[in-house]
Amino acid sequence: MKCLYCDREIKIYSLYSLFIEEDLLCSDCRHKLKMKKRKFILEGYKVTYFFDYNSLFKDILLQYKESYDEALKEIFLYKIDIYLKLKYMGYQILYVPSSEKKLIERGFNHLEGIFKKLGLKEVKGLHKKEELTQVGKTLVEREKMIDNYYYDGPPIKKLLIVDDVCTTGSSLKGVIKALRDSCTTICIVILAKV
Amino acid sequence: MECKRCGNKDPAYFYEGHKGIYCRKCIGFKRILLDEDTKSYEYSVSENVEKFYFDYPLTRYQQEVSDKCRNLIKEKDVLLHCVCGAGKTELVVETISDFLKEGKKVCYAISRKEVVIELEKRFRAIFRDASVIGVYGGHHDVLSGDLIVCTTHQLFRYQKTFDLLIIDEVDAFPLKGNYELMHIAINSAKGNIIYSTATVNDFLLKSIKKRNYEELTLFIRPSLKPLIEPLILYSNKFFLLLYMFRLMQTMTNQCIIFVSSKKECRRLYSVLKHLFSITYVYAESSKRKENIEDFRNKKYQFILATTVLERGITIKDVNVIILCFHKGVFDEGSLVQMLGRVGRNFLNPYGEAYILSCFRDEEINKADELIKRANKEYEMSILRQGN
Repeated sequence: MKCLYCDREIKIYSLYSLFIEEDLLCSDCRHKLKMKKRKFILEGYKVTYFFDYNSLFKDILLQYKESYDEALKEIFLYKIDIYLKLKYMGYQILYVPSSEKKLIERGFNHLEGIFKKLGLKEVKGLHKKEELTQVGKTLVEREKMIDNYYYDGPPIKKLLIVDDVCTTGSSLKGVIKALRDSCTTICIVILAKV
Repeated sequence: MECKRCGNKDPAYFYEGHKGIYCRKCIGFKRILLDEDTKSYEYSVSENVEKFYFDYPLTRYQQEVSDKCRNLIKEKDVLLHCVCGAGKTELVVETISDFLKEGKKVCYAISRKEVVIELEKRFRAIFRDASVIGVYGGHHDVLSGDLIVCTTHQLFRYQKTFDLLIIDEVDAFPLKGNYELMHIAINSAKGNIIYSTATVNDFLLKSIKKRNYEELTLFIRPSLKPLIEPLILYSNKFFLLLYMFRLMQTMTNQCIIFVSSKKECRRLYSVLKHLFSITYVYAESSKRKENIEDFRNKKYQFILATTVLERGITIKDVNVIILCFHKGVFDEGSLVQMLGRVGRNFLNPYGEAYILSCFRDEEINKADELIKRANKEYEMSILRQGN
């Protein structure tokens, strides 16, 4: 077995990887990712995140999202998925929508790839009013995105919103604003925070 | 199963995604599906751009090689083996001009970004009518022009495109030992290729074995002076440093001091900055550009550098000190290149070169032998011409 990112041979380095689930990254890369559960508050909701947005995480995420390397989807929730599965049992999951154009070009929803392991039912019915991209925009311009979402599905009891990276939080705020009235509980899980 | 772009055949590197099977070996250049058609990049070369202007005319030795190259390239690949500072860029100018005249696509690929920027300027001065386009990381909006200068990594954008591809410094990082990139580079040409290098190594010969090529050599610099032979010293680290201080005190020219790691670079800088007018440069340093520019403008007398300054940079009247304190950092190619920084001024082709090493190394001997061999060949050809 070789490390999916740096191509070196993987040596089994922990009991967890020996008995429960094999790691697809080498111990070096895994160590540099610095996984730790942390929380912050956004719009009155608790947001859980797991990684520092350091250079390695950035490279891996870019390779997954922009170079379309689907094989990397397995590595993000290593060791975390059991915790998430137990904690969010009975929830419905919502992937923060990305642009249609990218989705067609990529051929897969990158968030679905990562979080499909949890086995939660997906929520449909969240739409964008117009296609906007976040890249290269200032804070003020990003703030406009908050009003860009609307929801027209049935009411939901427990909802888990997932996203990859939170920079200013404007898209998350938009999603929360659209869903606030039709949900009783909202939890948010993201991978990393800048 | 074989990847069309990088030629990888190892099944462990193929992964089946939603859109089909793709290769993970060259994933850094974006996903390519196994059944995806590779399309060549289409653009056209404008007319009447082949005129070129030289600051100096070619020497008769250069002219000889250049004429040979022009004839050979029509049928097969050419491996140009020249000493550092022999004017490899000028040698290929006539060949480029021939191709541009016929409206064919030409590309000049080299390893480093800084060198691309410098070469772009140089080619603009040579081909004044043509639009010369530089393509490198973070600067790839415009991909078409009459003559393209790019880094080797950017060649993946052009598949089966060029009628003439010139790959400079094939012996060096990042091409060295990287079969995928070499495959991508060779793949971007549909015509013939000129490989130009100062040292020929096994890797290069192995990767171009299947192609039909001929080697051309030139061991004479345009200044018609031999290469500077280095003074090699083996001793204790402490004494070597002492010797270096002594050298630096007596030196009047500017001098580049090559060290093996950035840690060493920072350490030596922290001591030497109190004693000399000195600056430093390594790959990740934030002031990299400014420091090199300051050194060029003679603001500082000394510069501490890692291998970033090793290739493609011409600074007039410099001496070189190489500190080999760690094994396996400098190989034959890089040593020859570093020694080749000396004596690059056309009017004053002299200088001093020192290798200070604390262990006996095969690579140093090889580099020394190579320079001596080149000088011998140089003497022979001068004698032949004299008669």
